[in-house]
Amino acid sequence: MNSPNKDITGIPIHRRTFLRRTAGFAGATAVLSIVPRRAFAAGTPTMVNSIRSLSNPYHATWNQGGQAFAKSIGADYVTLVTEGDSEKGIADIRAILAKTGGNMVLNVDPNDSPDARPIVDACVKAGAYVVTQWNKPADLHPWDFNPNYVAHIAFDGVHYGEDTANALIKAIGGSGGIVALGGILSNTPAIERKAGLEKALNANPNIKLLDFQVANWKSTEAFNIVSAWLTRFGGDIKGIWAANDDMAVGTLEALRAEKLAGKVPITGIDGIKSAIEAVRAGEFAATVSWDPYWQGSMGLSIAYAAKTGKIDPAKEPKEHREFYGTGVLVTKENADEFYKTHIESEPKIDFNDYWGRVTGQIRQS
Amino acid sequence: MEPQIGPPSADRGTPPQISSPERRDRNSRRPLSRLKPYAPFFALVALSLLIGAMNARFFEFNNLIRIANSAAIPLVLALGMTFVIVLGSIDLSVEGVLAIGAVLISLLVRNNSNTNDFGWFGVVLAILACGAIGCANGAIHVGLRIPSFMVTLGMWFIGVGVATLLLGGSTVRVVDKGIRSLALERFLDFPIAVWIALGTLGITWIIERQTRIGRYIYAIGGGEDLAALSGIPVRRVKIIVFTIAGTLFGLGGLLSAAQLGLGNALIGSGRLFSTVTAVVVGGTALTGGEGGVINTLVGVMIMAVLGNGMVLLGISPDLQLGVQGVLIILAVALSLDRARLKIVK
Repeated sequence: MNSPNKDITGIPIHRRTFLRRTAGFAGATAVLSIVPRRAFAAGTPTMVNSIRSLSNPYHATWNQGGQAFAKSIGADYVTLVTEGDSEKGIADIRAILAKTGGNMVLNVDPNDSPDARPIVDACVKAGAYVVTQWNKPADLHPWDFNPNYVAHIAFDGVHYGEDTANALIKAIGGSGGIVALGGILSNTPAIERKAGLEKALNANPNIKLLDFQVANWKSTEAFNIVSAWLTRFGGDIKGIWAANDDMAVGTLEALRAEKLAGKVPITGIDGIKSAIEAVRAGEFAATVSWDPYWQGSMGLSIAYAAKTGKIDPAKEPKEHREFYGTGVLVTKENADEFYKTHIESEPKIDFNDYWGRVTGQIRQS
Repeated sequence: MEPQIGPPSADRGTPPQISSPERRDRNSRRPLSRLKPYAPFFALVALSLLIGAMNARFFEFNNLIRIANSAAIPLVLALGMTFVIVLGSIDLSVEGVLAIGAVLISLLVRNNSNTNDFGWFGVVLAILACGAIGCANGAIHVGLRIPSFMVTLGMWFIGVGVATLLLGGSTVRVVDKGIRSLALERFLDFPIAVWIALGTLGITWIIERQTRIGRYIYAIGGGEDLAALSGIPVRRVKIIVFTIAGTLFGLGGLLSAAQLGLGNALIGSGRLFSTVTAVVVGGTALTGGEGGVINTLVGVMIMAVLGNGMVLLGISPDLQLGVQGVLIILAVALSLDRARLKIVK
């Protein structure tokens, strides 16, 4: 520590050695991240899904959907993961474009909104077909890049935030105090879902929002906040609204530790397996499923249809180019059925029903 | 807190006054500095009084239980981190090792994904595996002479990667009643997880105060070259310390799986930052050689009280991060004896 060229063990380590080791590590990660299922076949385009990671249930299901679609048309399938790193996400996409010579379709959940532009540019340049989901800059439009930028898909956070809030209000009988947990303050879905909650509150003056806290989408943080709420409000809390299922699961376990599970209704959003199970058990009042299996398969299917000429993007109306998909509100009434069709078995999706889940054009803000 | 490393034999028997006048002198000039080591503790008391004054419910017994419950997992993780930091090293693999521990446990005990039912035997296996990962951290660090920062950073990613591979990205629910009882059952009003954390505190305190390893850790943290020259087995001690850390992160994985009733690859996310913060806020210096497990207990309690208090006081979420940041800087500013620091990096 007293000489700059020594590491913590006090043994000299050369900068070059350190750099070489670091580079080797980084290189190894880069190679591992592109895992082709089979050798690339000539002719049929390669199906590529680019997502955040395979570590969360949401994107893992997304990936299954992609696999199923690729299998249905006998194409090669590649999964790229960004691991939350925009640079890596874009670089991997450029690499696979070069490798396939542009003979591919891409279904991408960009790590961050600005990433969508370079990704679309690269695809247009290589002649590949691309569908983006969730994140893109507001002024980047598919219709400006005919035919390669086929569509952008998102889900209306305001709408579904309001839906789950209404389900919660119904579950507590229309009056009383509730508390709410939001996601990371600067995230678009967090802002939208909270706006939906507020809409529902405005329509129901008998419901009092006791407190709103941010648990950054995480179970653990939700657990601690809910514990503290029980001290502050005790029995005044009649229901708990959470902006995603992970936080709702943390909420449920905090209640369970106090023997309150099932007594205070909870709602989440996203439709992860534990949440569906909790709805079935009567511990959650509701959640919303985006059906990531649909997102992973139909994103590819729509782009593939454009590539093979089944649809002509230039002739499609704007609400087919930038649209809100359909979420499913899962409550006690449909939970068992939903569990059977979406959790126990792979969802059955008609890959040729391109616009069946369009619920309107994305608001231009 | 500083261990008195045995002086070379020639000096043995010299009266202790030789070195103490200087210290006494400095203390008499600045009597406050004698209180420095207790600054985090005073900060904790002041914080509690402040919050309690604004919301009396803070002092309710039920709230004490809730604070203890939210501090249990951070305490176990921070205790593992403490020795590593006292050594002057760092262990960034918390989230990876915790994820492996939680995922292995949830796959080995009764769960909703496979037919395993190894119960506590599975738990022991999983925690041993985490200890082995910690051991590998230490062995690679001293064996290949790679800074602990890089080794454990790599191990963090490997850990999350392996946990992801084991589950294919999904989540496994823990059905085993015994495991869940750690979080759901209580003994003397406190959840069992809290007692486990306290037990861990006791064991690490004994390691710190009563064993040779404990002494060696401080000697190495205070000056590794001197420690090596005086015959301390530096490499072995480091490997042992990283092994203890890995084991405790695994224990943290057990408690997390019990608390949330599930295992997934991201179960540890966010734990690294809060663990290091708690250790440092408690007064353990990142430069090594100072602090200890009692400091860590105080640091973890400060963070837990703060988290609880901000909700009790209804501080707006937009302000919470800022408040937390200010208090962290304050706590460290109060507890560090900056007069003794030659260099600040």
